Amino acid sequence: MDYRAIAEQVIKICKQKGADQAEAYLASGRELSLEVRNGKVESIQEASSYGLGLRVISGHKLGFAYVNDFRPESLEETVRRALDFARILTADENNVLPDEPGVTEVRGLYDPGLSQVAMDRKIALAREVESLALKVKGITRSEGARYGESEGEIVLANSLGLVKSYKSSACGFGVGVIAEKGDQKSSGYESCQRRFFADLKPAAEVAKMAADRALEMLDPRPVKTQRAAVILDPDVAYAILGGIIQAINGERVLQGASFLGKKLGQKIASELITMIDDGTLEKGLASAPFDGEGVPTQKRPVVENGILRGFLYNTYAARRAGVKSTGNASRGGFDSLPGIGPHNFYISAGKMKPEEIIGATERGVLVKEVTGYGINPVNGNFSGGAAGLWIENGKIAFPVKGITIAGTAEEILNGIDMLGNDLDLNRSRTAPTLRIKSLQIGGE
Amino acid sequence: MKDVFPGLKPINRRKFLSLGLQGGLALAATPALVRSLLAGEGQKLQVPDELLKKALATALKRGGDFADVYVENRVTRSILLEEGRFKSAVFGLIRGAGVRVIDGDKTGYAYTDELTEEKILRAAEVASFIATSGKKTQPVALKEQKRPSYIRVKIPLQEVADAKRMEIMKRAHEAALGYDPRIKMASIDYYDEIRDRIIATSEGVLLRSSLPLIFFIVQTLAVGNNTSHMGRERLSRHSGLEMFDELPPEKAAREAARESVTMLEAREAPAGKMDVVIQNGWGGVLVHEAVGHPLEADNIARETGAFVGKLGQKVAADIFTMVDDGSLPNYRGTTDFDDEGTQMKKNVLIENGVLVKYMTDVLSAKQLKMERTGNGRRESFRYYPIPRMTNTYIEKGKDKPEDIVASTKSGLYVQSLSGGSVNPTTGVFNFTCREAYLIEDGKKTVPVRGATLIGSCLDIITKIDAVGNDLDFGPGICGKGQAAEVTAGQPTVRIRGITVGGTRQRA
Repeated sequence: MDYRAIAEQVIKICKQKGADQAEAYLASGRELSLEVRNGKVESIQEASSYGLGLRVISGHKLGFAYVNDFRPESLEETVRRALDFARILTADENNVLPDEPGVTEVRGLYDPGLSQVAMDRKIALAREVESLALKVKGITRSEGARYGESEGEIVLANSLGLVKSYKSSACGFGVGVIAEKGDQKSSGYESCQRRFFADLKPAAEVAKMAADRALEMLDPRPVKTQRAAVILDPDVAYAILGGIIQAINGERVLQGASFLGKKLGQKIASELITMIDDGTLEKGLASAPFDGEGVPTQKRPVVENGILRGFLYNTYAARRAGVKSTGNASRGGFDSLPGIGPHNFYISAGKMKPEEIIGATERGVLVKEVTGYGINPVNGNFSGGAAGLWIENGKIAFPVKGITIAGTAEEILNGIDMLGNDLDLNRSRTAPTLRIKSLQIGGE
Repeated sequence: MKDVFPGLKPINRRKFLSLGLQGGLALAATPALVRSLLAGEGQKLQVPDELLKKALATALKRGGDFADVYVENRVTRSILLEEGRFKSAVFGLIRGAGVRVIDGDKTGYAYTDELTEEKILRAAEVASFIATSGKKTQPVALKEQKRPSYIRVKIPLQEVADAKRMEIMKRAHEAALGYDPRIKMASIDYYDEIRDRIIATSEGVLLRSSLPLIFFIVQTLAVGNNTSHMGRERLSRHSGLEMFDELPPEKAAREAARESVTMLEAREAPAGKMDVVIQNGWGGVLVHEAVGHPLEADNIARETGAFVGKLGQKVAADIFTMVDDGSLPNYRGTTDFDDEGTQMKKNVLIENGVLVKYMTDVLSAKQLKMERTGNGRRESFRYYPIPRMTNTYIEKGKDKPEDIVASTKSGLYVQSLSGGSVNPTTGVFNFTCREAYLIEDGKKTVPVRGATLIGSCLDIITKIDAVGNDLDFGPGICGKGQAAEVTAGQPTVRIRGITVGGTRQRA
């Protein structure tokens, strides 16, 4: 199918039917996912799919409709539905589409060889990672290994003359294993995602990490409820990043629903902390040449040496705030309106080796797992379940499970006193190992 | 252009109303009736039996034990009223078909967005490659079945003007802002859908149905006392618009606003182990996560789950009985049959503390040689079914809720939970409180900030020592790689000694 032609055709129909502005967002692609357990293929799923999201603005009113049926009568119906919806809504002069013609050059988003890699090799990779993890002493069961890939194309056109497209791909594999000892069960997972098949980590590395995670948590001991240092492993960076990403959402800020809303230009974190949003990173899993409504992406600091430098905006929220879009319009898929979200979002690397941070900690916990909702973006409160390794006198002493950590964003961000050098930009939301000097821990 | 949405023409609405009046009672929307009403909301889901038959034959041509074809058409509407403005509205039309083959423990699956013979047979072909065991199965001739419906509809969604939906939203918006001057913003999210399904299996089952669903979310932002709190209340049923007669939007809005304002006064929550009383309703998400997920039979068949090998054993306190029931009338977790065509019914999972049943889909039931319980569900045609919960709850007990609080010397009273998650292998779970209070000397006292509750499933169900007589439910979304509509329910319960993740060290 010629998706560009469809997009342009739909825009034309919108104009004919009276839309002031219209935008067509077409996503198409294919996916493959397979699971292996105990050496046998357990499932294989393959499909290609496509869909169109249509945004129309009529009299400053915004309507949206989506469809995955591209027959002409269905496309016309979609236009009519979007326009009908637009008519009944509230007019808002900030409802406009962007007209920036440019795109950001981002390298390494699409691996043309991905679909050429034989299915047998993909199955073999899942088998290999599982069998290597099962060979590790103490590992008793497999929860299964997976391989998955997807590739697709985004075509975006609007009535202001924008027509842009790009292709992207992603692939990944991972394994879950269980270590059993008496009545104890401990599970460990690891996975690896990349844009290019050739960049995937060796199966042995992923297998070892999954097995180590299950094994290191055996024979946990209880700890008392206390205040102590909390070191966050890069694996649990999301526990603090998620709430911050929501709190810097420009629309949320306008609504007064962000604990960072009035802190622009102020110190919100330790001077060690610089946070970057980067849509341009080569081979980045959240990179793209333009955002969900066609605005070119950029790399920009959101927090610099602890000072809050900016929020994330799409075109609508930017206009409301009287600023320029930051290229952060996000789409959940063709079926969603552009929201606001980050690209590759991370805390910049520090200078310490992770083992130096542990070595410098008299008493605390190296957190390997955090559960819960993270930082509350409205008021900054944080409480989560946690598991990890207890540290005494600069050394890992024993595993701890079933503890809680809690505090406020202010306490956490300003309390960061050590920052690791182990930033891995192959993840889209990440941070190096970091230490919060003191936080409330709930235990016995 | 041909109007492909004749269902919205006024004549159909009048016709339906007259039918309703003649009946004098709520109409049970039998699949046949809904189908005729649906005739055009989205284009009618027309896949000839002959094609379904061909697809099943193609799916099993390389062998296998079981195959099914799932065809779906979903028409969705969502409208957002926020900051006093109807900001956006989204209309969706999505259709597609998926073909699955089960061969031994293996599943092959492929789907297509295009409901053409060529693409559906191509999906069947792709799925068929999974079969390598050499076992041949001859598909049984399809015979369309009628099933009883648990979904009764008075005011069908496809007959409702959008203005009517917006009126309901306005009522909620005004009630929220009018509740207290500290309510600075309200967000009203209205969603409804009609999901048509065709399910055809190699066992000869052929079913067609149409399911309406409403999901109404009120969020309110209160600002004051140097902090802010976003409150939330959700309403959802498989129902027509009459849902709002029984569950008034104003009431939901005032409830969200009340939570927001109350929590402005919240103090630091305590940290450490304590007794916790959880109020009736959506608090049932605790057993949904902690016990429900580990009782889904996929992780039992894989022998990885926390409840493997415990069937028939005493796993919980005597007073603890837990049920999953996908046939509760109009509940959000209800369907007439699951996405594999298995009839919905009440399944007692744990009876007086004894584990009696796992929740199965076709594959796990076959692997475990157990009955199909009606828990084979999928988010859409883009996914194959896996064991999922429906309406899951703790059966009511004998205690009065006020006695449970009065007999708790000190601890935490959890009025509502946001949600939680569990690792089904280890059974370690967590929940986040939305609204909680201290219990001091048997009395619910001051509100405390949203704390996390954590524990292990095998442990917690032995520590439930009081079960109230006030069973209630709340609607939610359950995620397990794919989303499912569920409700969670419970009476007021007390759990002795659970870890609470507060910020305040107790003396």
